[in-house]
Amino acid sequence: MSLTAEEAKLLKAISVPNSDAAKIVRNFDWIVVVVLLFAVTAAFHIHFMLTAGDWDFWVDWKDRMYWVTLTPMILVIIPAALSYPLMHKLGLPIAGTVCGLCLVIGEWVSRISGFHLWAYFPYSLVWPAIVLPGLMLMDLFYMLFRNVFLASVFGGGAVAMAFAPANWPILAPYHVPVVHIEQLVNVADVIGYSFTRTATPEYLRFIERGTLRTFGGESTLVSTFFSAFVCMILFYMWWRIGQFLSNLGTIPNQLKTFVGLEADKDEAK
Amino acid sequence: MAAIEEEVLASQAAKPFKMNLKPMAVGLVILSIIFFTARWYQQWAAWEYGLDATNPDFDTYWMSVFWAQIIIEPIIFVALVGYLWLTRDKHLNNLTPRLELERLMLWLSCLVVYGFAFYFAGSIFAEGDASWHQTVVRDTSFTPSHIFVFYLCMPVYIIIGFSLFTYAITRIPFFAEKISIPLILVVCGPFMLLPTVGYNEWGHAFWLMEEYFTVPLHWGFVFFGWSIIALGGLLLQVMGYLVELLGKVTDEQGKLIK
Repeated sequence: MSLTAEEAKLLKAISVPNSDAAKIVRNFDWIVVVVLLFAVTAAFHIHFMLTAGDWDFWVDWKDRMYWVTLTPMILVIIPAALSYPLMHKLGLPIAGTVCGLCLVIGEWVSRISGFHLWAYFPYSLVWPAIVLPGLMLMDLFYMLFRNVFLASVFGGGAVAMAFAPANWPILAPYHVPVVHIEQLVNVADVIGYSFTRTATPEYLRFIERGTLRTFGGESTLVSTFFSAFVCMILFYMWWRIGQFLSNLGTIPNQLKTFVGLEADKDEAK
Repeated sequence: MAAIEEEVLASQAAKPFKMNLKPMAVGLVILSIIFFTARWYQQWAAWEYGLDATNPDFDTYWMSVFWAQIIIEPIIFVALVGYLWLTRDKHLNNLTPRLELERLMLWLSCLVVYGFAFYFAGSIFAEGDASWHQTVVRDTSFTPSHIFVFYLCMPVYIIIGFSLFTYAITRIPFFAEKISIPLILVVCGPFMLLPTVGYNEWGHAFWLMEEYFTVPLHWGFVFFGWSIIALGGLLLQVMGYLVELLGKVTDEQGKLIK
């Protein structure tokens, strides 16, 4: 990608230490960083909580089928779309990492403020899933390959492949079997039974089906591979959507004569 | 001779560029006070007076807050957007590049305030809504959670968003000459979350009283939340514009030209 004359001139100007141009550009950078952090946290968090939220809110929803399958699919969408402006246009392989970090911060603030301090649930019930490793791998693969197709296959797939392993160390103790009222359940179920979610009826609460428990660890593996397959497709689709949304351009302003600008020639006719 | 030369050079030097961060700082302080007070009020009054909508205390402590918001917010919206339109620059064709740059940087700093407001709406108060409604059975659309997330947080960022849009098309030639579609999406997408509340409440009232957060009824919020992806497009547009402006106001050594 070659630079225009204006860009080359500016690049030279901002390379001069402490020049006015360098200071202005640095100010611009800081503003963009802060805007992005707030906006990405809000947008990614609302997207995530309304599409995979219940699995993420509650430890007894963190099953080996839907949680493992769905969460990476939802996770890959916005980072893939933002990969277009950030990596393809600006050369910054950070979309996944920034999104993951913003999501984790947003989730922890709300789990403490809303779920723990306001609704009085213990942290052991409401901790958010660990999402950063897969999203960082996504960035890494995009940086290495610099090719959207390969980034979709390896980077998109990595979001799903890393999800269950990244969460296993924290989730494993909750899957220890317990006998509760003569029924075999696990620790996560018992915590769920103890803290009733009055407005969420029992029939909506996810409890693993018996078949999943007789399959040993395979259900997690099968879910992970299926999720990785869908994530590969989703990464490419959403990268294209990011491309579309980043190149929308402009439309004529019918009101510009009110601010002293000349009307477009077509309109004047 | 050398002293005279220095004086001449000093008189020719442009005033140093200083960003005006006051509006951003004032905005962040005001919003912090509003949102933290709202969150404190929830903690204080939600369990005590917010569980039963038929209780007179609910009217006293919650519906009064709701009505105050509904009256005050449109007034602030009209006042801010109207002020920005009425005091618009009517000679944008004569604007100096230096002033153009100052206005652009001021506008960008105010985007921080917009992002801050959107964060409270989309993250803290939105997920707080999940914690409340999955715990407490709803008997009204105007719950202690909704009164702040839908009727405080959302209107606040909508007011800021539309004010920033009006500022851009009335004071910054780049946005006044042609309207940026990513900018429209960044402002109007989050705005559409508020009309989506109508659909959401309608659905909850008539067919879905129980609560799980990933229910398709909530996906309208997700769809319009995606519009923030256009922020990337806006960033690219503004970067191109900044390159153009800096070329006009600085020399090859990066010094400001008078």
